[in-house]
Amino acid sequence: MTTPVSPTAGRPLPPKDDTMILFSDINKWYGDYQALADINAEVKKGEVVVVCGPSGSGKSTLIRTVNRLEEVKSGQLLFDGHDIHAPMGSAALNRLRSRIGFVFQSFNLFPHLSVLENIMLSPMRVLGVKRADAKTKAGQLLERVGLSSKAGAYPAQLSAMLFDEPTSALDPEMVGEVLSVMRGLAHDGMTMMCVTHEMNFAREVADRIWFMDAGRILEKADPETFFRSPQHPRAQRFLSDLRAH
Amino acid sequence: MYSVYEILRDNWLLLLVGQYPSGPLGGIVATLILSVLGIVLAFPLSVLLALARLSPWRLLRWPATVLVYVVRGVPLLMVILWVYFLVPILIGREVSGFTTMLCTLVIYEGAYLSEVVRAGILSLPKGQSEAARALGHSHLGTMWFVILPQALYNMLPSMLSQFISTIKETTLGYVINVQELTFAANQINNQLLTKPFQVFFILALTYYVVCFSLTQLAQWLERRIAHKRLGATPVKPAEEGASLPTSPATPAPTVATLP
Repeated sequence: MTTPVSPTAGRPLPPKDDTMILFSDINKWYGDYQALADINAEVKKGEVVVVCGPSGSGKSTLIRTVNRLEEVKSGQLLFDGHDIHAPMGSAALNRLRSRIGFVFQSFNLFPHLSVLENIMLSPMRVLGVKRADAKTKAGQLLERVGLSSKAGAYPAQLSAMLFDEPTSALDPEMVGEVLSVMRGLAHDGMTMMCVTHEMNFAREVADRIWFMDAGRILEKADPETFFRSPQHPRAQRFLSDLRAH
Repeated sequence: MYSVYEILRDNWLLLLVGQYPSGPLGGIVATLILSVLGIVLAFPLSVLLALARLSPWRLLRWPATVLVYVVRGVPLLMVILWVYFLVPILIGREVSGFTTMLCTLVIYEGAYLSEVVRAGILSLPKGQSEAARALGHSHLGTMWFVILPQALYNMLPSMLSQFISTIKETTLGYVINVQELTFAANQINNQLLTKPFQVFFILALTYYVVCFSLTQLAQWLERRIAHKRLGATPVKPAEEGASLPTSPATPAPTVATLP
C-alpha cells in the first residue's frame, strides 16, 4: 500500500538511488546536552540496520528522528528522497509517517481497542481502507505471527504473553517468531532500523550494525565483523562487558 | 417529628413535580431534569474547551483558557445574574427562568468539566499519542480515536461527582424563580408559615438522599474502573472477533499457544 506523497513534502533525490534513509550531519541538543552528534549514515532499501550501544547513547533518539517524533537542530534527513525535517504541512507529514512503521520499546498498544482493532485503526482512519478489507488484512497479519486466537483480546489480557521483558526474557519461541517476521518483512523489501540490547537477536537479524555512544555513531559494520573484531575501542569494551555478564 | 410526616403527606406531590399538571413542572423532577440537561449539554462543550486548551494553535488555546479562568473565578450566582440580565438583551426577548438557569449551568459546568477532561487527557501515557502520531494520525484523529475514548472512560467517576454538585447548584435557580425543589419547599413554607425548620429539614434530607445515592454510584464506578485498569476483570470480547475463523468469543486464555 503506497501512499502518494505530495511533492511539497520534500525534494526528491535524483533517481537510481537505492538509499531509503539518509542522515546528513544530524545534530540534536537537549539543552546543553548533545543527544546526537554529526550523524552521517545511510540505510539502503531492504536493509536491516540494528543500532546498538550503551543506555543513553542516543539510539532511541536517532530512530525517533526518522519519523520526526524528535526534531533535529541541524542537518538533513532524507526518507526515500523526502526531507523529513523540512517545513511541511501536518497532512504531508502524516502521509510520510503512515509509510514508516514504528515499534515502540513499551509497545504502546491502545488499551481500549482489541488486538484486531488495534491493527485495523490506522489503515481505516489514516489510509481510508474499508472496514472489511482492513479486517481481512489484520486477520492475515495475526495469522502470520500465530496470534489469530488473540484477535478479540484486549491488550491488558495479553500481559502473560507479549509484555514479558522484551529485551531479556522473551520466550525463545517468541524471539524466533519475531525474527522470522522481520526476515519475512526484509525479504519483501521492507527497510528496517531496530534498536536492541539483545546482541544475539541483533546478530541474527541485522545486515548492518551501527554502534553508538554519546550521540555519535562510532562504528558501522556487518554483524560478523562487528561481533568478531570490533574496531573502535568503545565498541570493544561494550562487547567484552556484555560477555562478562 | 410528626409534623414532618404531615407536611410530607400533604405536600409530596408539590415536592415531586411542583404545580404540574395545572402549572409549570417543578419540584425534584424539575431539579433532576435541569441537572441532567445541564451536564449533558455541558459535556460536549467541555470536550471542545479541553481540546481548545490543549490545542497547538494559540487562536483556540487563549480564548478557551480565558473563558475557563473567568468562569471558574466567579461565583455561580454572579453567572446566573449575568445570564439573567444579558440573554434577554442579546436575543431581544424574555426567556424563562428554566432556560436561563440551563444556559448558566452549561457555561459553568462546561468550564469545570473541561478541566476534568483536560486532566484526563494529560494523565494518559505520552506513548499513546506518540504511537498514534507515528502511525500517521493527525492531531485531531489522535485525540478522537485514541486519547478521548480512554480519557473519557477514566473520567466517568469525576463526571458523576460534577453531576452531583450540579444538582446542588440548581438550588441557586431559586433567586430567579426557577421552579425546582427549593422553590417548591419555599412555597410550602410560605403556606405553613410556622414550620420552617421542618420544611427545610425535608428539603435538606431530599437533596441528601439523592446526592448520597449518586456518590455511592460514583464510588462503585471508580472501583470498577480501577479494577479494569489492572486488567483483572474479563473484558467483553470485541464484536469484530465473532466472524474470525478462530473463536475469540470466549475470553482468551492467558497462556501463549503458538504454532
